[in-house]
Amino acid sequence: MRELAIAVLAAVMIAAPFMLGDYQTYLLTLTLIWAILALSMGLVLGFVGQINLGQAAFVAICAYTCAILRQRYGVDFWLAAPVALAAVVSIAALVGLLTLRLKGPFFILVMLAFAEITRLVIANWQDVTNGPLGLKGIMPPEPILGLSFDTKRSFYFLALVVLAVCLLALWRLIRSRTGRMLVAVREDELLSEFIGIPVMRNKVIGLCIGAFVAGLGGLLLGPFLTILAPSQFTLFASVDMIVMAVVGGVGTLVGPVLGAIFLVYVPEFLSFTSHYRPAMMGALLIIVTLVAPRGLLGLADVARGLLARGFGKPRRESGERGRAG
Amino acid sequence: MLAQQLANGLVLGSIYALSALGFTLIFGAARVVNFAYGELLMLGAFFTLTVMTYSGLPFFVALPVAMVGVALLSVVLFLLTLRPLLRGAYTSLHGELQVILVTLGLLYILREAAIIIWGTAPRQMDMGVTGIQMVGDVVMTNQRLVVIAIMAMLVVGLYWLLYRTRIGKALRAIAQNREGALAIGLNTDRVIAFVFAVSGAMACAAGSLLGTLYAVEPNMGGAPLLKAFVIVIFGGLGSVPGAIVGGLAIGLIENLAGAYISFAFKDVFTFILLIAVLLLRPAGLFGRAQ
Repeated sequence: MRELAIAVLAAVMIAAPFMLGDYQTYLLTLTLIWAILALSMGLVLGFVGQINLGQAAFVAICAYTCAILRQRYGVDFWLAAPVALAAVVSIAALVGLLTLRLKGPFFILVMLAFAEITRLVIANWQDVTNGPLGLKGIMPPEPILGLSFDTKRSFYFLALVVLAVCLLALWRLIRSRTGRMLVAVREDELLSEFIGIPVMRNKVIGLCIGAFVAGLGGLLLGPFLTILAPSQFTLFASVDMIVMAVVGGVGTLVGPVLGAIFLVYVPEFLSFTSHYRPAMMGALLIIVTLVAPRGLLGLADVARGLLARGFGKPRRESGERGRAG
Repeated sequence: MLAQQLANGLVLGSIYALSALGFTLIFGAARVVNFAYGELLMLGAFFTLTVMTYSGLPFFVALPVAMVGVALLSVVLFLLTLRPLLRGAYTSLHGELQVILVTLGLLYILREAAIIIWGTAPRQMDMGVTGIQMVGDVVMTNQRLVVIAIMAMLVVGLYWLLYRTRIGKALRAIAQNREGALAIGLNTDRVIAFVFAVSGAMACAAGSLLGTLYAVEPNMGGAPLLKAFVIVIFGGLGSVPGAIVGGLAIGLIENLAGAYISFAFKDVFTFILLIAVLLLRPAGLFGRAQ
């Protein structure tokens, strides 16, 4: 049943750009990229148990490194991308080693400071990053293995493949030893340490994987928007990712993807002007946190439970976040 | 040159200290990292400006009126969004994460509300104080001296409230040990609501003073919020003297670094300092180790 659903979904996603117009394909690609970013945030939020307000900095570092290597040094995308990913993962490891020792609000505030430093450096290092004006005219990735990416449709498939690979890899990860250790550390750090789990190492690994996935999103973001500017990577970019992960369902892999779909398409269908979007994000974040802490997936569970009991007494939704998958 | 920079740093530091005070009070009493705090500053400035425009009252009369307004707003926001969460989980990390998510949501909503009500254009707010004072080479506008005076008055008032009144005593008890305070029969919800009111009033004062020195606009809350973070970590989260010393120190450092090292990177210095303090002394200069 589950395999069938995945197969149908895959078929729909592959067929979609052939049925839809340019704008809808653009919107779908945007959703895919947001889904990758939300997934990276969902991983840190749900499996490391931290709010990372520096996630946008990881995206920015990777996107900028790749774009600068390509534009200034003429490096091929497929060579620049791994270099940029390696850079962002090393930075994440370093930052993680320094900051993950800190508990509760301190980690959040330091990561916010890290994000601000990154943004200020990008905005002020004129010679390399072109300052607040940003890098313009970022080309689609060069052709590789006979595939070219200069149409909207082909770029959509690239984003789709990246998201699918991320989902698969993370799905395997959370079922692996490392994944189970991450969950254990999230649930009770002291107890995990006591039973011999290397707490610090696991948290740093979790942050690095999150940064890697965020970096993948950043790599796609540059060619997709064709422009990178420091104003795209403020606190609000990180909060957008958080809203998506939380609205979809924290502690799951499907949740952030659902959240991304929800937050790209709902304003689109209700033809909200871009003016009200931030207010909507804020209201959603508050309502979901207060009323449905497990997000859309939690609501779906409740609905399923109600159906199964033949609309009996509604089950009170609990705040548990232990489920994965 | 140096004396002038020190004087400028002192003015900036006074406002920073004032912005950080309300923030650190809430953290101390309720363990809430209030991301919407910068927006209360911004709303405070707009409230003062609105009272001045519609009633024609001078700044120093309009400010207390606006302070009451923001205090009420702060309490209402606490009762609507945060109290349900604080009731559920006092100590769990999950509860802490939820509180932060809610205040982040408030940040979006309050800023958007200000944009819808007042528009994005920056506005001038006039304190009505003119003239300058000169001591040696140091030039200081009277307006800036008033800023320092107001900050000193509010700090004295806050100390009186915390150490000379019954509610201040209750507040300190809750900050030290919430379960213990509950056990001896303190109504923690009511005291925390009161802290939110005081914090809102402080935010309003800081925001209005910032507004008279620079401009009043919906985006003005972001920078003071970040500064408040740096200051409270520097001085110790929840520590009142820490916020004052931290605010003054950050104001001085920023001015000196901006004047003598690099203006463009002056904010980077404060953030690097912040990270250094956290790594060497995670509880802050005046904080208690946890």
